[in-house]
Amino acid sequence: MSNDSVDPAGTVPRPKRWALVVIACVGAALVVMPFAFTMFSKTPQGAVMIAQFKPFMTTARLYGFQTDLREINAGVRQSDTSVASYLGGGTVDQRAFASAYPTFVSFNAQWPAIDRKMTSLMDQVQGNLGNYLAVAALPSFKLFPYFFVLPGLLILGFAVVALRRPRGWRSGRWVLVALGVGLIAAPGIFQMFQRAPKGGQMMTAFKTIETDQNVQQIQGYFGTMAEGQGAIRLELVPGLHHAGLDAAQIASRFPAVASLDAHWVHILNDMTPMIGAMSDNVARYQAIASLPPFPLFPWFFVLPGVIVAGLAFAAGSDRKALALKPTRGVQTEAVPHYQGAT
Amino acid sequence: MISRSRTAALLALASLSLIAAGVVPSPAGASGGKAKALVGTFKLDAGSCQGSSVTGTYFRMIFPHGTVANGKFFDNPDSLCSDKTYTLAIPGTQGGLVTGNYQPDPSPAFTAQGGAAANDIVQPQGFTAINFSIATNKKDPQTGTAVPPPSITVKNGKLTGQTEAWSAAWNKLYFNQGSPKPGGSHPGLTTPLTGTYDASSRAFVITWTSQVVGGPFNGFTGDWHLSGTFVPAK
Repeated sequence: MSNDSVDPAGTVPRPKRWALVVIACVGAALVVMPFAFTMFSKTPQGAVMIAQFKPFMTTARLYGFQTDLREINAGVRQSDTSVASYLGGGTVDQRAFASAYPTFVSFNAQWPAIDRKMTSLMDQVQGNLGNYLAVAALPSFKLFPYFFVLPGLLILGFAVVALRRPRGWRSGRWVLVALGVGLIAAPGIFQMFQRAPKGGQMMTAFKTIETDQNVQQIQGYFGTMAEGQGAIRLELVPGLHHAGLDAAQIASRFPAVASLDAHWVHILNDMTPMIGAMSDNVARYQAIASLPPFPLFPWFFVLPGVIVAGLAFAAGSDRKALALKPTRGVQTEAVPHYQGAT
Repeated sequence: MISRSRTAALLALASLSLIAAGVVPSPAGASGGKAKALVGTFKLDAGSCQGSSVTGTYFRMIFPHGTVANGKFFDNPDSLCSDKTYTLAIPGTQGGLVTGNYQPDPSPAFTAQGGAAANDIVQPQGFTAINFSIATNKKDPQTGTAVPPPSITVKNGKLTGQTEAWSAAWNKLYFNQGSPKPGGSHPGLTTPLTGTYDASSRAFVITWTSQVVGGPFNGFTGDWHLSGTFVPAK
């Protein structure tokens, strides 16, 4: 016979009071936690950030950015060597070239650092594609506070009711066990143990990317690249025309330059919105980064779940049980009855 | 009786306040220090460069942390000026900026390559290989905020007003470039519209700056200089 069933003496079980108090505290902590971490304002920002990065976080799109950078690099290198040589009549007179094409020469001097930085940034982003996809596969960030508040309210409610009306404990106990098991199971169901650490890695990787300073540096690079490409498009290529080459000959002799020229608008179409998304999400990233570390989140469910389920299961009945006193015919009312008291 | 007189006095006072604030044109127009709303078309002079001298209608873009006086300015390789920081404007099909009404983006607002198609106020101009242009829409396309049509008032030859709806389009993106910004704020280097107006020739010069809020040019500031001749609405 279980210790929570009605015994032949006409008593119902009474839960261990201290266990219910602990369960109630855990429930209250779950309710309070999202407010303490200001999750209601921060997690929706995370949801927006994940959504705004979505168009860019595909293998094809990220590979496209790398291709864009390689295309610019090839065009710049070819301009600095073959084109400069052709315009110099077969030799590269750096001084004359710099004098005739100062904008390009200035850009060319800055390009290696820009290329390094942008390529490294894209490598970093591409390296975190899997982490991003893992985070994006989690339930919407907007819901996260409710994942704590709703079970917390239920746990708190059932614990308080059980404290005030112990005769309902038999069913309330199993509801609390079920809520605890639900909290334990939720991270497993949502694969949070795999995904949350990946989210943590992504947040760490983006720490140096999603800053005002970094975004402004990239905006500056964008201006320099636009100016440099303009110098190729509007000065070097016309210079080649002036030297007697038509468009087909330029494409044949200087394919990297022709390709950059032809694809520049596409490159702008590609890169500009990404810079916009980076810029727009600096504050959102910082809001999410100020939450507790992602890898801890599954434990925020599991640990309360273990405590609630464990205590609810173990709470059973106290040595103090409740005697059933007949009232108004068939109804009964529980009153304390000291079973084991001598 | 007393109550009616008091109401009439209050109404008169309110009317005077509105006239003084430039909300309602005064019967006397711009003369005598009264503000007058200029409703019509601010026909733009095309931008022009002669050496380092730039006249007419043009625009510059200032990098974040820059200043209007000293830049750093964004170089537009497509600029027709030797100083590539100036992007010149050519008047659009309606000749310039209309006050009291909107001059919205067409549909579609962009070409397949991302060039802006609006051409009422100014003709689309190349900006780093992609055309940009200007429109004024009832709902600002960048922020989604409802904005009033541009309004400009003259008082003693000085122009004031608002261009909240002034929206630049480029590369399939929108950048609000009005002053104040939608909602009425003046972030960063955003300055109120100011200018001069010659009542006899109707020649005007209008300037303002507007910081870009959000998007790839977040923190940049557009420096706008419009000049031309005002043509009142019939």
